[in-house]
Amino acid sequence: MELRNYLIAIKAIIKKDAKIFFRYPANAVFRIVEPILWITPVYFLSKAFQINGENIGFSQYSGTTDYMAFLVIGSIVSSFVSAVMWGMGFSLKNEMDVGVIESNWLTPIPLWVQLIGRSIFSLIMTTVNALTVAFLVWLMFGFNIAGGILMAIVTLLPMLIALYGLGFGIASLVLITNNANNIIDITNFCLSMMSGESFPITVLPRVLIPISLALPITYGYDAIRGILLNTKTLLPIPVEQGILVLFMIIGIFVGYRILKWVEKYCRTKGNIAFH
Amino acid sequence: MTSYAIEVKNLRKEFEIKKRNGFFKRNKKKEVFIAVDDISFQVKKGEIFGFLGPNGAGKTTTIKMISTLLRPTSGTAIINGINCVERPMEVLKILGTVLTGERSIYWKLTGRENLEYFAAMNGITGRKAQVKIDYLLTRFNLDKRADETVEKYSTGMKQRVALAKALIADPEILILDEPTSGLDPQSTLNLRELILEIKEEGRTILLTTHYMEEADQLSDRIAIIDHGKIIAMDTPCNLKKGLNKTNIIVLELKDWNSSTEERIKGIPMVENITSRFDDIAQRWEVKIHMVNGNDSINDLITNIISTNNKIINFRVEEPTLEDVFISLTGKSLRE
Repeated sequence: MELRNYLIAIKAIIKKDAKIFFRYPANAVFRIVEPILWITPVYFLSKAFQINGENIGFSQYSGTTDYMAFLVIGSIVSSFVSAVMWGMGFSLKNEMDVGVIESNWLTPIPLWVQLIGRSIFSLIMTTVNALTVAFLVWLMFGFNIAGGILMAIVTLLPMLIALYGLGFGIASLVLITNNANNIIDITNFCLSMMSGESFPITVLPRVLIPISLALPITYGYDAIRGILLNTKTLLPIPVEQGILVLFMIIGIFVGYRILKWVEKYCRTKGNIAFH
Repeated sequence: MTSYAIEVKNLRKEFEIKKRNGFFKRNKKKEVFIAVDDISFQVKKGEIFGFLGPNGAGKTTTIKMISTLLRPTSGTAIINGINCVERPMEVLKILGTVLTGERSIYWKLTGRENLEYFAAMNGITGRKAQVKIDYLLTRFNLDKRADETVEKYSTGMKQRVALAKALIADPEILILDEPTSGLDPQSTLNLRELILEIKEEGRTILLTTHYMEEADQLSDRIAIIDHGKIIAMDTPCNLKKGLNKTNIIVLELKDWNSSTEERIKGIPMVENITSRFDDIAQRWEVKIHMVNGNDSINDLITNIISTNNKIINFRVEEPTLEDVFISLTGKSLRE
């Protein structure tokens, strides 16, 4: 019975978010245009480094000469990472600012279910967005993938679920600090810097590589590129997939516990009342 | 089975206050502000229980503890036999709450969409939800504009959507925090009528207000709260009866100052004095509580005239809840 109510609530949150999203039509257009604007100068820069149409230096590190495909895959995976974090953290802040957070907390739906609901619409939009952007970039600049799309999705899923744990953590920080943009921006920036969103982590200074290797997302980027582009991976792909599954279990458990603790803290301190 | 819908026992809420010195320094010594100070009361099933007090008295904090948004520092709040802290999700299933402010609903959604959303959040979907939503929209006179976004509604309409939202899950108990705050007089009257209709359906209502006429008109019983403490609790009639030996004398004066006030305070039988300047009429309205006042009216008039003050009007009023509040605290509800 509870599960049924939770699913009904998640569906209602997705529907509500979709309606609000499409009442700002510029949002939809901007979400397609923005990633292309980011990728275009990097494409031309990488072209400037090419010899006979190939990024030889880049291939020494990554095992592929197709920097554009490497970049697009990194950008797509990164957009899913952002979708979970923004979907949870920013939407929570947005509800605080709009003034409806208390109305939502007064429904018999736990906060963690509400957060999952909020991130799902963000993920749906990201999927549509990522496919559109990938298609447009393919038309404009061209890139090749070796195949294995299904396996890449199977690898992405535990990483996304694990990110829900991180999302719970971000939401907790937003609740405590009443600040979303800075927290999400910094977390996002650090994650993409350290986990090799747009470059192979082997180019990082030695001192930073252990940090990068300690981030499970690093193995997500690496495994998905290994599957789709046959790049050199840090570890065998099944091992990297195992790390992601482990990350999923630990991430969800730890994130959930933190969120429950922070929720109790906010109800004690009266934080939500003052937003 | 308990006969009380709400039972509050020794409820207390403390907030830590962090003070800052300059830009960065924070005072190490933490101060504690007691918002609700050990209050106890019961609300019978089917009654409207009014919580009357000035702004900052602790009404909203109490409501938030009862509706599970805040955890009490100590004490308990029991809703239909269910503890608010131990089983909050069960409490929320039988509670409909309207918090103060008009931004408790989504302005970018229509009135109907808001109700659909909150119905689903309470597990109500499909045909059952549609029937309920249509009924509430019609009942609250929102049906003609149900498919417009809430941002285009008046404040009164937004408040009616918020009330309909609280009723969507058919709750046994309704909590209304300052429901008419910010409304124009006509919307206020309409909303008060709606609240009385909701009570007629057999629901229990806990209502906070700082409008004494609202508490008087709507409540079966009232708790008067000030500085986090309940200072009186009874039916409006009994509370006013408690002042039957007190005369409420209202004087409209050209001038009023502290020396005149001190002089009047010196008259035996004068209990409390409150004053306010009426900007429109450009005169002072001074309300004086006097015990067995008939005996001292001569003294009062003589004293005022001796200060060369001009009495524009003079009347004796029946006690109101505001007078009860003044008699208990020595200050007006508006202060």
